[in-house]
Amino acid sequence: MTLLLDMLTTAAILYGVAAGLLIVFGVMKIINFAHGAFLTVGGYAALLVTAMGWNPWWSLPCAFVVGAVCGMAVERLVMRPLYSRPLDAILATWGLGIVIGQCITLTLGRGVQFVQSPVTGAVALFGTTYSEYRLLLVPVVLCVVAALGWVLNGTRLGLMTRAVIMNEELARSLGINSALVRFATFSVGAGLAGLAGALITPLSSVDPNMGVPWLVSAFMIVMVSGVSLVSLGVACLVLGSAQVLVSSWANPILGGLTIVVLAALVLRFRPEGFARG
Amino acid sequence: MADLPLSAALPAAPLRTKRRRLALPALLTVIALTLVLGAPELLPTYLVNTLIRAFLYAAVAITVDVLWGYTGILTFGQSAFFGMGAYAAGLVFTHLGFSPGMALFALAAGVAVAMLVAALLGWLAFYPGASPLYGSVMTLVLPIVVSQLLYSGGNFTGSSSGLSGFESFDLSIEAWFRIAGVFLVVLTGAVWLFVRSDGGKILEAIRDNEQRCEYLGINVSRVKVVLMIACAGIAAVAGFLFACVQMVVAPEYAGFVFGTELLMWVALGGRGTLIGPVLGTLVLDVTTSYLSGSLPFLWKLLSGLAFVIVIVALPQGFTPALWSSMKRWRRQAAAPLAALELQTAEPRPLAGLQGAGRHALALQDVRKNFGSLQVLQGISFHADPHELLSLVGPNGAGKTTLMRCIADGAERSAGKLWLNDHEIKRAPPFACVALGAGRKFQNANVFETLTVAQAMRVARTRHARPSLWRRSAVLPLPAAALQVMQATGLDQHLNLPASELSHGMKQALELAMVMALEPSVLLLDEPTAGLTKPERTLIGQILVDLTREHALCVLLVEHDLDFVREISSRVIVLHQGRIVLDGTVDEVVQSELVRAVYAGGAHAGSS
Repeated sequence: MTLLLDMLTTAAILYGVAAGLLIVFGVMKIINFAHGAFLTVGGYAALLVTAMGWNPWWSLPCAFVVGAVCGMAVERLVMRPLYSRPLDAILATWGLGIVIGQCITLTLGRGVQFVQSPVTGAVALFGTTYSEYRLLLVPVVLCVVAALGWVLNGTRLGLMTRAVIMNEELARSLGINSALVRFATFSVGAGLAGLAGALITPLSSVDPNMGVPWLVSAFMIVMVSGVSLVSLGVACLVLGSAQVLVSSWANPILGGLTIVVLAALVLRFRPEGFARG
Repeated sequence: MADLPLSAALPAAPLRTKRRRLALPALLTVIALTLVLGAPELLPTYLVNTLIRAFLYAAVAITVDVLWGYTGILTFGQSAFFGMGAYAAGLVFTHLGFSPGMALFALAAGVAVAMLVAALLGWLAFYPGASPLYGSVMTLVLPIVVSQLLYSGGNFTGSSSGLSGFESFDLSIEAWFRIAGVFLVVLTGAVWLFVRSDGGKILEAIRDNEQRCEYLGINVSRVKVVLMIACAGIAAVAGFLFACVQMVVAPEYAGFVFGTELLMWVALGGRGTLIGPVLGTLVLDVTTSYLSGSLPFLWKLLSGLAFVIVIVALPQGFTPALWSSMKRWRRQAAAPLAALELQTAEPRPLAGLQGAGRHALALQDVRKNFGSLQVLQGISFHADPHELLSLVGPNGAGKTTLMRCIADGAERSAGKLWLNDHEIKRAPPFACVALGAGRKFQNANVFETLTVAQAMRVARTRHARPSLWRRSAVLPLPAAALQVMQATGLDQHLNLPASELSHGMKQALELAMVMALEPSVLLLDEPTAGLTKPERTLIGQILVDLTREHALCVLLVEHDLDFVREISSRVIVLHQGRIVLDGTVDEVVQSELVRAVYAGGAHAGSS
């Protein structure tokens, strides 16, 4: 039973981490390797919020805002010239990740720090006791998905975004300001990364390189899920479950490899990944 | 047909320019070797130690540059091969003990494992039709997997602390400096010869336009895999030397972060040059090791910042930027490019096939669906040598789709297709070229950075295997290709990069490249789109000559019905994915049906 709950919560965490990367990839066809750094920024935002003695729940909106602001600056300064060079964009955002990581190291130190969790304790559920916070992640991530879905399908900006995803040339010629759409997307993507960073910090710890392992998993998940929020969910459930199973039956290090290797194989034999099926 | 000396070059000229071409690099090599052999006694020990490491890193950086800068494969994975070489030494010396024989065994094992893994990676990453992003993803996965396996290896691999304290060669630091230095200089020289050779230009052709390479009969996937294997072997040798010198190996050396660091060095130094990545690695690695004591984080921050700025604003890196600003004032002194002599090649149409078949091209019930949309609904016809067959029809009739199905076996959804009586089955484009297909695309599809002569030689790869270390002074081309070049004046611009050609010249270059394949079935998709009236007449005349004199079967997609009427021997009218008429020009021109089709409203069954 614990195993099932582990699978579910792992999938939720992965979804939270990968969602921001997915919308940036979907709209811009660009892999944002600074995603891991935005994640770290979110984690530190959470750290600062709790260190100031505020309610830990405040860390979520704060992390989102801080991440989004970082994203805005990066989009303006770095991403603009790189839209036509997707492979270079990977490199530039990776370099950016290094820069952000070093800035954090220089200002906040390189040590590992711990963040206070908004809820502690465990609940009894289906005959086992389980961490309350991990369980809470599931509805929180579902809320994020619902919000994203609402923005994409229920607002004007979302309509414009979907138009840009399908055919940017046409969208632009119809008078849609695709630069604005890109700007908004990148900011929201970075904000989501920050939010995810704040969400995962109570489970582990905060250090300047905390984002890198997450980045790789999220990247591979996005590669197999195409550009749909639904297939992202499927990919997270399948690969997250596989990771939990391998970790508990073999060893955690191999478990860490599961997502990467499985995703690579899925792509080799089914290039469209989990999309459309 | 005797040799056709087209360029006015004197016979002695190529030799002289060639000598001049080799003089500077040879001089540089000698200077570099002298420096490497003489310097260790003069430099402080710490610097010597640092430089040994930097030399080996630079060797790996060169392989990254060959893959990424020259061929366009963004790779994060060379660190993994470096790690394999290093761990081969570390594992063998730790667990089996050190002896010269064991060292040789470790080197062989490291290189062999690296090459095997590279072959596997290449198979995964570069299957026909794989996207470049996917290939990069695979090279990213490799170092992650390798370093994680090393972490989980327990006492055998030393886990996170790696292996150290094993015995190694008993050599002085100075000796190692010379070994590593000579290794780097020799490697740089060899790679320099390779990338500038006729064969090496194929790499740049792949970087410029992979699709065009496929349709010139080059098995791009295989080239990439072979290159990957070779680069893996070199990286493993560097890793082996590294472990022998440092007597320590750690999982980080096989990891993804080191892989990206290699990319940073190459990017900063200048991708697509050789001296750039070498200098970039040496300067950055040495500076890093000096500054890591005093201000480690600030230095890393600055180098990260520099990397971002270079990628955004100066994608070619520092060396080429310096180079081009230097060129501005030494423009006059620049040596003239080696003159090249065009020759007529022995005609070898259908090389490797058993002569022409009954039909040059035959289709039986070929269908193509995009989802539920049926673009081709059962096309059957055959065409013979000496035929100039035009495909006409309104937009969306399926003309270009039909061309695609003929030149790439993976395209069609159902039906059979024969080229020179060989069924193409699911053959990829390069294999269809071997069966006699030559496809010219609708938009001029050329190699932007290659010169006309280089592009023509790449197009001849299938017939005349280019040397991997020399540049030939003669360029044998089939008569038909020469005819196209002469008629359009391309033979006067052999040393001009394609990016500087006019639109019409680019179209002509692509046609000439396709003719250099000596195809028996020539597929032309609107070859005159965007051309002026005189250029159009010229190309029309060439096409008529080709079908008459070279026994070609030409399949032409054209919207301009006047042009079609002038040159075709037969016309097929396509409408909504079906053949509605197949006959002579007169029959088609006088057909009520065709008029109805073009006026709109007619449906395919209405005849």
